[in-house]
Amino acid sequence: MTEANAQQGSPASRETAPLTPVLTRRWLSPESWTLSTYEQLEGYTALRTALRADPDQLVELVKSAGLRGRGGAGFPAGVKWGFMPKEPSKPHYLVINADEGEPGTCKDVPLMMADPHSLIEGCIIASYAMRANHCMIYVRGEALHCVRRLHHAVREAYDAGYLGTNVLGSGFDLDIVVHAGAGAYICGEETALLDSLEGKRGQPRLKPPFPAQAGLYSCPTTVNNVETIASVPYIVNGGSDWFRAMGREKSPGPKIYSISGHVENPGQYEAPLGTTLRELLELAGGMKDGIPLKFWTPGGSSTPLFTADHLDVPLDFEGATEAGSMLGTTALMIFNETVSVPWAVMKWTQFYEHESCGKCTPCREGCFWLAQVLERMVDGRGTEEDIDTLLDVCDNILGRSFCALGDGAVSPITSGIKYFREEFLALCDRNEGARGTQDERDDKAGEHGRSQAGDPALAGAAR
Amino acid sequence: MGVFDPLKGFGVTFSTMFKKVVTEEYPEVKKIPAPRFHGKHQLNRHPDGLEKCVGCELCAWACPADAIFVEGGTNTEEERYSPGERFGLDYQINYLRCIGCGLCIEACPTRSLTMTNEYETADDNRQNLIYTKEDLLAPLLPGMEQPPHPMRLGDDEQDYYVHGPDLARGAGIPEDETVETGHEEAGR
Amino acid sequence: MTVAPEADTRPVPEGHVRLTIDGVEVDAPEGELLIRTAERMGIVIPRFCDHPLLDPAGACRQCLVEVEVNGRAMPKPQASCTMTVSSGMVVKTQRTSQVADKAQQGVMELLLINHPLDCPVCDKGGECPLQNQALKHGRSDSRFRDSKRTFAKPVSISSQILLDRERCVLCQRCTRFSKQIAGDPFIELLERGALQQIGIAEQQPFQSYFSGNTIQICPVGALTSADYRFRSRPFDLVSTPGVCEHCSSGCAQRTDWRRGRVMRRLAGEDPEVNEEWNCDKGRFAFHYATATDRFTRPMVRDAATGQLRDSSWTEALRIAADGLMAARDSRGAGVLPGGRLTVEDAYAYSKFARMALGTNDIDHRARAHSTEELDFLASTVVGTGPGDGAVTYADLESAPTVLCAAFEPEEESPIVFLRLRKAARKGHTKVFHLGQWDSPGVEKTVDIVGSGSPIHSGGLLPCPPGGEAEMLQELPAEVDEALCRAGSILVLGERAARVPGLYSAAVRVAERTGARIAWIPRRAGERGAVEAGTLPTLLPGGRPVADAAARADLEQTWGLERGALPVAPGRDVDGILAAAASGELSGLLVGGVDPNDLPDPGLAEQALRSAEFVVSLELRPSAATEHADVVLPIAPTVEKSGTFLNWEGRAREFGSTIERTGAVPDCRVLDTLAVEMDVDLFTQTPAAVSGEIGRLGSYSGRRPQAPRVAAPSPPRPGPGQALLATWRQLLDNGSLQDGEPHLAGTARPPVARLSAGTAGRLGLAEHQPVTVSGPAGALTLASEITEMPDGVVWLPGNSGPSRVNRELGVGHGALVELAAAEAPSTSAGPSTGDNPARPDNPAGAATQLGSSTGPGGGRTDDSRTDGGEG
Repeated sequence: MTEANAQQGSPASRETAPLTPVLTRRWLSPESWTLSTYEQLEGYTALRTALRADPDQLVELVKSAGLRGRGGAGFPAGVKWGFMPKEPSKPHYLVINADEGEPGTCKDVPLMMADPHSLIEGCIIASYAMRANHCMIYVRGEALHCVRRLHHAVREAYDAGYLGTNVLGSGFDLDIVVHAGAGAYICGEETALLDSLEGKRGQPRLKPPFPAQAGLYSCPTTVNNVETIASVPYIVNGGSDWFRAMGREKSPGPKIYSISGHVENPGQYEAPLGTTLRELLELAGGMKDGIPLKFWTPGGSSTPLFTADHLDVPLDFEGATEAGSMLGTTALMIFNETVSVPWAVMKWTQFYEHESCGKCTPCREGCFWLAQVLERMVDGRGTEEDIDTLLDVCDNILGRSFCALGDGAVSPITSGIKYFREEFLALCDRNEGARGTQDERDDKAGEHGRSQAGDPALAGAAR
Repeated sequence: MGVFDPLKGFGVTFSTMFKKVVTEEYPEVKKIPAPRFHGKHQLNRHPDGLEKCVGCELCAWACPADAIFVEGGTNTEEERYSPGERFGLDYQINYLRCIGCGLCIEACPTRSLTMTNEYETADDNRQNLIYTKEDLLAPLLPGMEQPPHPMRLGDDEQDYYVHGPDLARGAGIPEDETVETGHEEAGR
Repeated sequence: MTVAPEADTRPVPEGHVRLTIDGVEVDAPEGELLIRTAERMGIVIPRFCDHPLLDPAGACRQCLVEVEVNGRAMPKPQASCTMTVSSGMVVKTQRTSQVADKAQQGVMELLLINHPLDCPVCDKGGECPLQNQALKHGRSDSRFRDSKRTFAKPVSISSQILLDRERCVLCQRCTRFSKQIAGDPFIELLERGALQQIGIAEQQPFQSYFSGNTIQICPVGALTSADYRFRSRPFDLVSTPGVCEHCSSGCAQRTDWRRGRVMRRLAGEDPEVNEEWNCDKGRFAFHYATATDRFTRPMVRDAATGQLRDSSWTEALRIAADGLMAARDSRGAGVLPGGRLTVEDAYAYSKFARMALGTNDIDHRARAHSTEELDFLASTVVGTGPGDGAVTYADLESAPTVLCAAFEPEEESPIVFLRLRKAARKGHTKVFHLGQWDSPGVEKTVDIVGSGSPIHSGGLLPCPPGGEAEMLQELPAEVDEALCRAGSILVLGERAARVPGLYSAAVRVAERTGARIAWIPRRAGERGAVEAGTLPTLLPGGRPVADAAARADLEQTWGLERGALPVAPGRDVDGILAAAASGELSGLLVGGVDPNDLPDPGLAEQALRSAEFVVSLELRPSAATEHADVVLPIAPTVEKSGTFLNWEGRAREFGSTIERTGAVPDCRVLDTLAVEMDVDLFTQTPAAVSGEIGRLGSYSGRRPQAPRVAAPSPPRPGPGQALLATWRQLLDNGSLQDGEPHLAGTARPPVARLSAGTAGRLGLAEHQPVTVSGPAGALTLASEITEMPDGVVWLPGNSGPSRVNRELGVGHGALVELAAAEAPSTSAGPSTGDNPARPDNPAGAATQLGSSTGPGGGRTDDSRTDGGEG
């Protein structure tokens, strides 16, 4: 169970490691997902404070706290809220992106499992700040248990008067709808999520118009990540200075790092932004069985790989970018020496090939091609030329695709080849080494290939 | 004019007596043209007898003399003339116009259209010089079957184009000219 | 756009921005897409998904360019089809930017990795944007060494459209067209990633009247036409611009033909009229002209056998002239030209009637008609045109309110429908319909569900059939107010002639609200025929017969003696037929008229039988030729030149597409026939006629009064009775659609519609056949419960077995008897039981959706409508 792995900031560990349990504070409490537990542990106190404030004050508070989006891009949440029109001529919507699909990422689902009310409280405060009377939580469909808990929590919140008409007597109305997705990675992209929520095919929309102008049902909409919104009650209670005390200047606050792979104790570790992998590895008990680290991802498979050389890179938005990657969702996938980079890259690419929505050419066709080349290379049938082809195709996808999925799909490949080119070459070498038998195979399989090149009859008619 | 000039003239005559005779005794003795002579066209067949022509009109497109007329047709499961979706429903070459340049056979994407060494295409009326598909289709070689008939060598046209000769040999169609790959044909 | 080197000194025009593309400064209107600005400058950026009439998608990524905004280069190349121009923007296309060029080449390579190399067998080969751009911008070889994605192909997504998913580049033009323009979202993207494909729902084919447009806008050979499949290549086609002969929309079109045969027709481009679209009828219904039964030689009835026999032109014309002269000199001859003539041909008929036959007994309205309509045409319609008071397409698009009364836009004038939908989709036009039920055409102009937020504006104002006039006088306040806004338009359709008082009411409403009236007839020739004067009370150019000065004017131009023109107003179609049937008229000159289109087909047949002498100018066998003494073959539209006036009154000139076939237009036949009668019409060629019409000019005198007919209340149906609502569907039994089974496959299945209340009173279960009876007989159709007023039954006018005029003998607004038919059947129901002599009409098979071999070829003569061409 995920909660079991969530590391509590015990006084002992606090001296040695920089854990800052904020969002994860309640996770190990008994029945932490119930309203009663939540209320006992300061639950819904922030809401009462917030409802007394002016909505614009709340936006300012979040701005001054410097809360940045936790979904990957790191856009300042307060600024995003500020884009919403002040005078509602159309309904406003708050949409929570809980479609956590990034490989390696496991922070939103445990949060919603262990502490759904913190998200709901955040939703109410954020909706109030944005003058939205409708909030949708779009949860990844596969996380069925999580969807049930959310439903339960929302029902509890309605019963307790935190939702519905006239929330806590403030005159503010809010309805929350929990919506389960149907298992598409692309629906984690905010505009595709909105389309999916509207019942349409989940494909990213053209921007502009941005969701703040025309989002869900063409109405002003803000889409925020679960962790972002769940942070809001704490900011309301603790204030912006408290929040800024954690993390770094441009990336303040705590962050849930989900560590998976070859470590002794994989799980969620909440630490200030800017914590390094070296520190996090200590928290996680070090590498599993002591086998040395080979490569890792700082924020899921869509962020370029890091190697053992990057152990001291501060993991915040700026630090990761400066080191040539991205913070992403802080999904740290740790791989030890036993893992082949081309194999891992192939697996990731197969994921992107499967999940590409198909709207734009570079991502749709490019991932299809990359996956085939990588599969062939891993199978020992690659050539050195294939590496160049891979890099060039990646170049033709990066920044050419409609949304960021294409960019994410190529980052494991380009970074993998950048740091571990010799491993890719070795696969080709094996190919070279096996020339004797390979030649024969080529002769058989390549008969048609060659005749195709030489035979004009086949150039046109064969597909 | 010099004294020896008449003798020089005889010298030419004399020396010519030892050269090869240029005169042809056609039609009693038929001349065999060079292997790549551009003669009458032929529409080839796959080893099972299906037509290679897909009615694409690229030959007509390439023809500088506008001598070729093609119209495509749709193959159906019941009535199939070529592998794939399309076949040449109507095919005509007007030899009054053809200049034998061979651009058409270069344009042919399926190697359906090739040129034979047959050069006796004279006739005494214009009508007969418009050759139709029946006149142009290659004869049925051993193992071939007159279309329409289903694809005997594979499930789709890709099988024919990519593995045709292998499949034909596998199907027991006799060797030699009925079944040969492009390489084999070039080496012949 | 202006491209000027000294641009920096000149001020930027109002509403424009100045930017630089490939080093050239250019002013572009705000909001313009980069790709269009570049195109206007002559810089063509390759694209697939972009289409000027569709919302931007940005899906194919082929049009990437480098962009600098506010002096900062954007980090990624941008899709120029989705980015709008802004001030100070610096754009580098593939011509000046390595990055853009590489991006475009990269996308092209990616597009091709899964594209089959089957160009030789692909219908698009030779005119394929992908092929052209691959040659222009692509690599010469592929680096792709692995296996391509394959699909089963081709898949038939409707009877007329075949889908090849391997060729598809997923640009979504077809789905966007169907969703945005046509409002028929029957095709959608399915699956995702590399497996993404276009598809249809199971059991729900691509049943759209506009589906053919997707073939034309498909940038690859993924959507192809079943009819045109493998027929020819672009290089052996001759493309001739033309005008569609079917409805009064007046679409520009392109006819592609080869060796004297039309291979296909495409929508032509005319932003004023049809933009870039046409309907499937215009696109696919052209095989009638090459039907095997087309007349190629004149025929005369052999006195001995009573059968028609081939004859020479000389003989046929001689006999025709003698017969007509005899008829003229006996009790007179009437002329029924039909509603599908060009202006020139109609003018020849008009002149022939007046000069050769000396009569005003001429009426082209081969459909329900009324004196009120005649007055309305004379007072309100004739003599108008774009720029001359008539409503235009552009007016429809910019109107705040459009009220359609007795008009079914999608069925009767599909391009008007597209414009109305476009106007409604932009959100500033409210479209109201005065009708009986929420037909697809109503729904798609009222509820717009496309990309972006759904729009609901306007609506259906339900009224009993025949009650349209009454309803129009008592419009709901909301509609009335909307109609009072400047620029509003009131549209009247063909069946308005069936509703007494509707024209009068419309004129009154227009006077009161300031809305303008548009009369949209169904047939291509009707509007032009009004100008040409093929009406009993109108002479050419809108001159009233009753006006002596107008007659004198015409006599002078025609070189006639004073007073040579007949003075008495003529009979209308009903009058001519009744007179011929009763022997008051001796002769008939008939053009393209089918008795089934007339309110009383029986009377028409009796008239043809009774008339002493009948001359028919026809294309193919019809009821008229069956009784004709002389049949003179005439040219179909494709083999002649001429002009149609579309509903706006806009002249739609077209040249002859296929020449030297020996077929002659009606005007030439009539000219020669007149010469045989010692009359010179000077209508040898359409060009000559056109010149004469120009010289003649139009009537400048006072127009007749608009009709003032009181609107009677519609009768109240008693028990077992209902009021009949009916109109023609776009694809029906019309003879101009003969020979095209694929098209017939997308016709809407004929069903009888009635409300749940009406059905309940009859004890009718859903889909149970219902028998509708009128004075002439009865017909049985499967029923469909539809939201509509109680006591009303709707039948398609001429679809499958539902041939209302013939089977029932009544029309829109009449009382009919209803009864539940006994045998519930799943098919469209048997053809009528009380007319056993009539052969079953195979057109009923049109209900079998998606059947690739539908009906068409084997129609019997009496199923034809809109008789041939003539």
